[in-house]
Order: sequence, then C-alpha cells, then structure tokens
Amino acid sequence: MATGETGIIGKGIVIKGNLTGGGDLVIEGRVEGQIALKNHLTIEGTGKVQADIRAEELTINGEASGNIDASSRVAINASAKVAGDIKAPRVVIEDGAVFNGSIEMDVRLPDDI
Amino acid sequence: MANTVIGSSIVIDGEISGDEDLVIQGTVKGKISLKESLYVEGSGVVEADIETQNVEIAGRVTGNIVASDKVELKTDCRVVGDIKAPRILIADGASFKGNVDMDMKER
Amino acid sequence: MATAKELSASSNVDNTVVGPSILISGRLTGDEDLTVRGRVEGELTLSRTLIVEPSGVVKANVAVKNAIVSGVVVGNINATESVELTREGRMVGDIRAPRVIIVDGASFRGRVDMGDVEPGRLPAERPAVVRPTAVTRPTATPARPALPSARPMPPPPPSRPTPPPPPSRPTPPPPPARPSAPPAVSRPSAPITRPGLGGLGSKPLPPPPPTRVERAEPQAEQAGSAEPPTPVLVGAGAKKKVVVKKKTR
Repeated sequence: MATGETGIIGKGIVIKGNLTGGGDLVIEGRVEGQIALKNHLTIEGTGKVQADIRAEELTINGEASGNIDASSRVAINASAKVAGDIKAPRVVIEDGAVFNGSIEMDVRLPDDI
Repeated sequence: MANTVIGSSIVIDGEISGDEDLVIQGTVKGKISLKESLYVEGSGVVEADIETQNVEIAGRVTGNIVASDKVELKTDCRVVGDIKAPRILIADGASFKGNVDMDMKER
Repeated sequence: MATAKELSASSNVDNTVVGPSILISGRLTGDEDLTVRGRVEGELTLSRTLIVEPSGVVKANVAVKNAIVSGVVVGNINATESVELTREGRMVGDIRAPRVIIVDGASFRGRVDMGDVEPGRLPAERPAVVRPTAVTRPTATPARPALPSARPMPPPPPSRPTPPPPPSRPTPPPPPARPSAPPAVSRPSAPITRPGLGGLGSKPLPPPPPTRVERAEPQAEQAGSAEPPTPVLVGAGAKKKVVVKKKTR
C-alpha cells in the first residue's frame, strides 16, 4: 500500500468496463467489468461489483460476483455477499457473510496426509 | 490417564490403534490395537479383535483378545472369543465363552 | 450385556475424545460431540459438533451439525449449521454449510457452498432494496435438512408464507422441504446475534473438556445407573448389528 491516494466510486456511479489503477479504491456504487488494482480495494455495503478483481488486498462489505485474485488478503465481512472463486494467501470470512465459490490458499499439510 | 473416550452413542466401524489408554462406552467393530490399556465399560460393545497390553471388560466383547499383560473380565461382562494373556481374571458373574491361553513368554 | 438402556447409561459423559496417539480408521458415527486430538480417517457422521483440535487430523468425509476446525481436515465437510476454521485450522476439501467462518490465519483450499442464498445470488440481478428489509432474521439460513450426503442445490421453493417456528435453529428438521427458504435471500446484513449457536460466532469455545469417567473398578456397577438422556438412535442400530455379527478369527 504505497500511495496515500484513495479513489472513491460514489453511490450513484455505475461503471461498465475495465478499471485499473495504482491507488486504493473504495467502491460505493456499481462496477461491472474488470478491476485491476495495485493496492487496496474496498467494496462498501452499498457497492455492487460484478467483475473479475485483481488487487493486493480486498475488503468486501457489499456484493461481489466474479473471480478474485489478491496478492495479500481478502476479507469478506459479515454484511458481504460474494460469489466467485478466490485466490489469495489469506482469506477471511466473517460470520454472517454469504459466500459461494472456491477458495484457494496455500495449505500446509502434515507430510503424512 | 486415558484421554481417549469413545462415548456411548458413538459407533466406529474400522480400526483403532494408538499408544494411550482407550475407554469404550460405545460400539466398536473391526480391530483394536493399543500399546496401553483398554477399558470396555458397561455400555461398551466391541466386536473386534483386540491386541493390547491390558484389557478390562465390563461390557460386551466379541472377538479374540491378545494382551501382553492382563485381561480382566468383570462382573456382568459378556465375552465371546479366545483370550491369550499371561494373566487372566474372570470375576464372578462374568460370562465368557472361548478358549483361554495363558502360555505366554512375556511377563 | 449392554442393552439399549445401558447404552445411554453412561452417556452422562457426553463427549467423545480421540486422544493424540489414537488412530481411528473406518466409519465413525454418533450422537454426541466428538473432539479429535489424534487422527480419524474414513467417514465421520455426527448429529452434533466435531471439534478438531490443533493436534487433530481428520482425513475423512464429514457430516455433522457443527464443525470447529483448529487442526487439519482433508475431506469434505457437510454441516447442517456451521463450519468454522479457526486461526490454526487447515483444510483441503469442500465445505457445505449455511454458515461458514474462516478466521484470519486459517488456510483453506476448496469450495464453499452456503447453499440457500445461491438461487438469488447474483447481486446484479437483484434490486438493491432487498437486504435491509428483513429485520430479524428468523428465516435466514434456516437449518437445513440434515441430508449432507446427497444435497442437491435446493431449488428455491415456491414462496412459503409460513414462517418457521423457532428462531433458534437447533436440530436440523427432517422434512425435506426447507422451511421457508425464499425470504432468506434477503438476509439482513448486520452482524447478527444468533441465538441458535451459543457463542460459536464470537468466540468458539469448545465444549468443556470431557470429564473423564473413572474407568477402573466401579464401572461394572456404573452401567446399571441409567438415565436415558440421549436419544439412542445410533446406539439402537448399533446394538442390532452387534448381536448379529461375530468376527471369525
């Protein structure tokens, strides 16, 4: 999370298409398409995203559908509804969250399994 | 210090092995091999061949028992099968059907 | 001579523990909580809670009401209520449960299926209003029928006006029709206190450690003092089988 800049896509905004960038981004509105961010993406409770997402870190309070690839962490908070496949080293699903899809983390198993 | 307990509602169909005491209150079918002691409590039902150091049976066992130390059949137990162990105790009231073999070198 | 009565006799110790050095391979079923500190392989079916402690390894397909995983699970878990992977939990396999919690630190690879929300799921297809409408959430994540084995994605049943009776969702209701699923889609999003789940949500407190039974002398007599607390479904079935079979040598 290098930059201090945070972009916001407000409640009334609908974006269809690709979204790329270097700073942090907060989505309160609606995005359809693809998102590729270098830093932290937050989907707020009012936010709805229908997109494949690439980011370093992703926090979801709203709704997201699409595949997620995060280089550091994905947090699906209690109010979130998420459908899609997630790939990230750390994934957190809070109680109350709704998630359907697959999760791929690195699982270190004992040798004898 | 037995820290393994198979509770009364549990049914295991398969094998149990381990290095610690085992208490069976439920049902086990298959095979049991332990390095320590086995306790089949009153509610316990074992339908398995048993290999262990000690066994105490108050419940029901069907199967052959080989113990390196001792087999104890307590009152009200019901055991069907052959027993092989250097020491065998059968309490008054126990019911047992099978062969006893105490001819074992270990002791 | 264990009778069905006796079977439930000693169930005052309502917790089964598989100690650290123990390996059970095969099929394990039961109506009580099970704590695994050792290893269980094969198939595990419980009408209650499975607790896999940090030293525990479960390599099995699991069907339970609740599962709390702090150790290792390789295999699929079907839970009628909830599955929680704690900080130390590691799991490879698929999870099917209305509530799934993955805590930071846990690692997991596999699918998550929270079921009933699926049909209306795609956010884009739904108007924004839905979520906050339902205030209490009696019907959200209804306890689903305990048919973990074959549980096709339940089709959204036609809207069913009758609200499910108790807000708590204790035992999975047997009827195949899921109690009023459709309204469940609109599930209030705030972190909700869930009555049904005693504490699980916030702080997974594993049930108290099993009080060990004294296992030596008194047990023969013990068996007699029977109060029948648990319905001995499995026990009864078990009983039957036992009588029938005799292992040959």
